[in-house]
Amino acid sequence: MQTGHQPETTAKRLSLRKLNKSFGAVHVVKDLDLEVEPGEFLVLLGPSGCGKTTALRMIAGLETVDTGTIELGGNDITHALPKYRDIAMVFQSYALYPHKTVAENIGFPLKVAGYKPDEIDHAVRETAAQVHMADYLARYPRELSGGQRQRVALGRAMIRRPYAFLMDEPLSNLDAKLRGHMRAELKHMQHDLGTTTIYVTHDQIEAMTLAHRVAIMNEGVLQQLGTPREVYDEPATLFVAGFMGSPPMNFIHGSVANQQFEAAGMALPVTGSPSSSQAVLGFRPEDSTVGPAGSGLFDASVFAAEQTGEYTLVTLSLADDTMTIKMPRDFDAPIRSTVSVDFARDKGFFFDAVSGKRDALTLV
Amino acid sequence: MHNSRQRSFFNRLFEAPAIGKMAPGTSLIVYTLLLCWSLVVLFPLYWVLITSFKSAVDVNSGPVYLPWVDFQPSLHAWRELLVIDYEDTLRSYINSIVIALFSTTLCIIVGSMAAYALARITYKPKFGNILMFVLAMIAGCYVVWKFGVDWKLSIAVAVAIWFFLVRSIGRFFTRSVGNGDILFWMISQRILPPIVTVVPIYMMFQNLRMLDTHMALILTYTVVNLPIVIWLMYDFMNSIPIELEESAQLDGASRFRTFWEIVLPLAKPGLAATTLLILILAWNEYILAVFLSTSKAQTIPILVSAMNAGERGILWWSMCVVIVIMILPVVFMAVLLQRFISKGVLLGAVKG
Repeated sequence: MQTGHQPETTAKRLSLRKLNKSFGAVHVVKDLDLEVEPGEFLVLLGPSGCGKTTALRMIAGLETVDTGTIELGGNDITHALPKYRDIAMVFQSYALYPHKTVAENIGFPLKVAGYKPDEIDHAVRETAAQVHMADYLARYPRELSGGQRQRVALGRAMIRRPYAFLMDEPLSNLDAKLRGHMRAELKHMQHDLGTTTIYVTHDQIEAMTLAHRVAIMNEGVLQQLGTPREVYDEPATLFVAGFMGSPPMNFIHGSVANQQFEAAGMALPVTGSPSSSQAVLGFRPEDSTVGPAGSGLFDASVFAAEQTGEYTLVTLSLADDTMTIKMPRDFDAPIRSTVSVDFARDKGFFFDAVSGKRDALTLV
Repeated sequence: MHNSRQRSFFNRLFEAPAIGKMAPGTSLIVYTLLLCWSLVVLFPLYWVLITSFKSAVDVNSGPVYLPWVDFQPSLHAWRELLVIDYEDTLRSYINSIVIALFSTTLCIIVGSMAAYALARITYKPKFGNILMFVLAMIAGCYVVWKFGVDWKLSIAVAVAIWFFLVRSIGRFFTRSVGNGDILFWMISQRILPPIVTVVPIYMMFQNLRMLDTHMALILTYTVVNLPIVIWLMYDFMNSIPIELEESAQLDGASRFRTFWEIVLPLAKPGLAATTLLILILAWNEYILAVFLSTSKAQTIPILVSAMNAGERGILWWSMCVVIVIMILPVVFMAVLLQRFISKGVLLGAVKG
């Protein structure tokens, strides 16, 4: 079995160039450029309706491409029929054939390809063992649990060693516990198989844990492409900053003038050149602390303090902005009391309030 | 609510004692109604069955109800139709079987493929093109009527002109009809009562010298029943999750293979129900058969009606024999197809 970093020969590079797609007047995917390395696990992340599933379906050949090209291993497959792409897909609903047994479901791609029954049988057994379904080969999908169906769908995608896997929110139909378990298994399996994988999800935890690289989309536009650490630590846009993390990044809307960021009741010195006078200061809940009034960067009023067991989430309000700070679990503060917020200078991010782009500003 | 609450008699009679149970009063009413309805449905069948064993005297001397008590059953009508006159009966019987089976098979194959296409492919024929076609046909007919041009020539020219117009100005039309309109147009073929269409159909087959042939009836039944198949199967095809077909396509299956291996097995319950319905319609059809067949292609319903037109008056006993043997295959098919008309085939496909 392969151990990761050198991908198997079946893995191919997938390139999307200036991909566009409209449904009627709605422009769903706008000039999407994406290079997926052979053997890479790339996660397409975004809120529902951001065009990520449409992009995936275009790669699969289930949706026509308006303009742009899709290349797989150097071959233009933009207009190729799905069956000639040699790409396997795991659907959100699994799409198992209900009238076929587990063995027939897993073996279907080989059957269609015209393999001999004993070859199919052998491959089915091998694949079923990989997805831990060897004992269920004679069952029908209706006799399986959600997690087992998920495994069958994976097995069916794996069996013919496709050039690429496409996964459309494969874990979203599972309960929380099973989802965590399958996530780890999926990561392990993709590592072993070394197949180029594009995984669509709206769950940023899945994206963070699974991806080699994350591509974050919003309203059909690619916002940022990078490793999970990069998009988390260095968000390129306001949208990415607000989408990654749970709870997401806090924002304070203000203005920049004379090397100073000014917002309701605060003035913080900054360096660098802002792209416009309207700026947004962002900082992560887990990077900041709450202290006695006057001790930190700025003061705010306590809206609520919520115990979650593991930690305490303190919600503060400052003018029109609310922010959440993650504090140790023994922390408590009365509602409406005034406290001060503090965080390391390099943990504060500035964004242009108009364009949403990152500003070249830092706190001093 | 308290357990100790006193319940009145009326309350106890019409309130279910527990969930999933029926109140005694309700079940009494329901079963009485069901019993009455069963009598309404079953009595004619019983009557037909015993009449087939009655002699002419028993029929004509007033109603008698119980065999061996009211009258002595006799096999004379059965013997007459199945032994003495068996050729006539057998021919009609075989005609009916051949015509019903062939037309139903044809109808189901063509209809289910059409329904699948309508459910899965978006058609957008331009409204203007359809209008131009109708106008071209009217113009063609007018030319034939006014100038006596050969109709084949006239229609060929009309089609050619229409084709030219579609290719040239057709693309400027914007209004188009969709799948729903096509579906409605198809079912609208059944709006006309058959008696209105039967004379043109008769004349068409007369021109083709196909009157009194199996083929004429098979084709007519197929065309007449096709809208029903398309209408019913469209719904069944639509209920199959599209992901299954997309998945099959990605697994490498062709469109036809997807239809054959994924869609058709899943549409089996619908297919069985539709087949049964169409089979019964074709088996019982009378009006078209009475026009299109005289002797060689005569079907069973015609034989039944022939029993009341003999010079010996209405032969109730013989008619009943034919009705009994006519009902049997339908019952047999219903039992056979019942197995497939089950729910839950789609279970496990897309949700838990």
